[in-house]
Amino acid sequence: MRPEFCLDVRGDYACFTRPEMKVERVSYDFITPSAARSVFESILWKPEIRWRMERIEVLSPVRWISVRRNEVGAVVSARNVAGAMQSGKGQLGLYVEKERQQRAGLFLRDVAYRLYARMEPVKGEAMGNLAKYTEMFQRRASKGQCVNQPYLGCREFDARVRLVASPDGEPEPLTSLDGDFGWMLYDMDFTRPADPRPMFFRAQLTRGVLDLTQAEVRS
Amino acid sequence: MILQALHAYYERKVRDPDPVRRLPAAGLEDKEIPFILELSTDGRLLDISDTREPQGKKKVARRYLVPQGVKKTSGVAANLLWDTAEYVLGLDTKGKPERVAEQMAAFRQRLDALAPHAEGDAGLEAVRRFLAADPLAAAQAKPAWAAVAEEGNPNLSFRLQGENDLVCQRPAVFAAIQAAATPAAAGHDPATVTCLITGQPTPPERLHSAIKGVWGAQTSGANIVSFNLDAFRSFGKEQGANAPVSPAAAFAYTTALNHLLGKQSAQRMQVGDASTVFWAQREEDKDVEDGFAALFDELPDDPDAHTAQVSALFNAVRSGRFDGAAGNNRFYVLGLAPNAARIAIRFWHADPLRDVARHIQAWFQDLEVVRSPQDPPYPTLFNLLRAVALQRKADNIPPTLGGDVMRAILSGGPYPALWLNAAVQRCRAEQQVGYLRAAVIKACLTRSYRLSPQEAPRAMLDKDNPNAAYRLGRLFSVLEKIQEEANPGLNTTIRERYYGAASSTPLAVFTTLLRLHNHHLAKMQNRGRAVNLEKLVAEITSGITDFPGHLNLPDQGRFALGYYHQRQDLFTKAEAPATAETTTTGD
Repeated sequence: MRPEFCLDVRGDYACFTRPEMKVERVSYDFITPSAARSVFESILWKPEIRWRMERIEVLSPVRWISVRRNEVGAVVSARNVAGAMQSGKGQLGLYVEKERQQRAGLFLRDVAYRLYARMEPVKGEAMGNLAKYTEMFQRRASKGQCVNQPYLGCREFDARVRLVASPDGEPEPLTSLDGDFGWMLYDMDFTRPADPRPMFFRAQLTRGVLDLTQAEVRS
Repeated sequence: MILQALHAYYERKVRDPDPVRRLPAAGLEDKEIPFILELSTDGRLLDISDTREPQGKKKVARRYLVPQGVKKTSGVAANLLWDTAEYVLGLDTKGKPERVAEQMAAFRQRLDALAPHAEGDAGLEAVRRFLAADPLAAAQAKPAWAAVAEEGNPNLSFRLQGENDLVCQRPAVFAAIQAAATPAAAGHDPATVTCLITGQPTPPERLHSAIKGVWGAQTSGANIVSFNLDAFRSFGKEQGANAPVSPAAAFAYTTALNHLLGKQSAQRMQVGDASTVFWAQREEDKDVEDGFAALFDELPDDPDAHTAQVSALFNAVRSGRFDGAAGNNRFYVLGLAPNAARIAIRFWHADPLRDVARHIQAWFQDLEVVRSPQDPPYPTLFNLLRAVALQRKADNIPPTLGGDVMRAILSGGPYPALWLNAAVQRCRAEQQVGYLRAAVIKACLTRSYRLSPQEAPRAMLDKDNPNAAYRLGRLFSVLEKIQEEANPGLNTTIRERYYGAASSTPLAVFTTLLRLHNHHLAKMQNRGRAVNLEKLVAEITSGITDFPGHLNLPDQGRFALGYYHQRQDLFTKAEAPATAETTTTGD
């Protein structure tokens, strides 16, 4: 049996951007599996292991906030960078004032989730000695250590994370949240590195619980 | 979820039993065609019929379901079986004969491409024969040509003599168009991805049709799904591949949204700067759909519709219409606002009807406040927003306020602090607490009470309310009344001079005001009245232990509400003086 871990994740704001509305951002109603995976990865990630999301429990009601922010609309050109590297000089700056784009966003407020993920060995030492990695995660998560700050969809929405050792005494999922939430992004399929493909699954919530082991993922 | 819901709405509407309300099927479009060329089966032009009908000052052409038009740019691109006079007849309107010849060729080419799919269709044959001869000369020979020429370069289409449908609507042609519009079964195509609306494998639509009718956006339309700058793309993907949607689903959601946003649509309203559309999940809740706009907006042609709809909603809730399974049907509200050639989602609600009905009912209960007979019982959202804006102008409503209030109404959350703030500010600035502002203040206070339950503000004068701010508001109202009765016809009363200070820093002004009121009382002719009013002052002040140095915003709101309640109360009594003498002094 591969080890399962549970994290209690909370935050003041969150934005799990829908791909169809990622310019004027609109969030999904709750955390996507890939965003949840990256919370685990921010605590421990090694090439030898992989995180597989098992279950997501939504703990607080879905609340929205509409915010407008200043961002930029341009990216630094890779060709210019290559040229500058070769010639040893060049202008690579991106001027915020010139490239400013105001973007509206419909974000989530005061979110709380309980995330269950399983650690899977992929290669190397993990195949024979997974305990090393589970201990590592156990230690790091219980001390609040992380490689980078766990976040909720966007880097600016930081998450407060707590390792849940046993589910006793933990709050109930939000039972009023029920039903079909349509097709949701599961993760990116990186088997073709040149052309990563999105994978979608049908987000069916049962009394506040999203069971990902049952989800049919289409890529 | 938004696009999925729109897609489902389209599926519902495309099957609508009423053909007038039916949305166009895939590959078709609802288009205004001012002129129809009437052909005989052998391709002779018999007549040109004018479909335009006067509507106000302008003439408006009839709308027909025609094959979906191509996106026209500067290049030559022809539509199928309908297009402008340049394409159809080869009419040269810009003095560029080569270009017109190209346009005609393009138009015929599309017809020729369709011909094998609809082999031997009489209508199609007639059109091809007509175009093979000299169509322009034939058209110019008709008496109706003058009207066509006057329009410049109008859209034209064809009809067979004696038929109701256009040639492009004939069953055989229609089937051929549909066959051409449906992409060949995908599966082995390397570009195939999962459609995020339907979940089906599909090649993604590159560019989605524009959404028209959002206030403030370009009139030619703007997009919800668009990736018009490099920074918006991911993984090096181009345009629509960033958000894979099948062409059919893209057509469905844009058609549905454009239909909802249309000029004639009863399912749209303006909330602040957000163009808001709404629809029900199921056909059986159509009546809610029809009445929703009237709940928040006063319809210009029927001012009573608002009150009627609110009552209808209350009755529906009371009769248990939204109980049980029926209440689980969802109701969708979508607020759209323009932003830099794109459309942003301002708010989005997909709640069960049960909750929507309950929240709207709560909204009207929150607003309920004592009023004079000429004030409407259920104020409209627009008027409430205007009441807190400078000069009561719609332009001065803070931009996001409407959307925030709407969100609060539908979700049952707290009303935005900005709203209470604006209402209190306007009261102070204009030294007037009208019905609408009192309703706003009461709603804001009620909702914050409900979320942190204490004692809720009442709709009418609450004599036992111990809150100092509320009492001071009442006191101020009585002092003003005393002055008014002592000096009838006064230009400037204490309200004009002291309202702002009294509502924010009571300690500083109430000593002056209470000193003044003794002089006013002494001046009053009617001694009985003076005694009664003095008793009222004593009754109100007895509950105030200490005059606060200053009041915070919610307390300023309470002050305004106390003032409004007391003033309404004084005036109601004044209308029936016989009872006033006995009851104002009461308890």
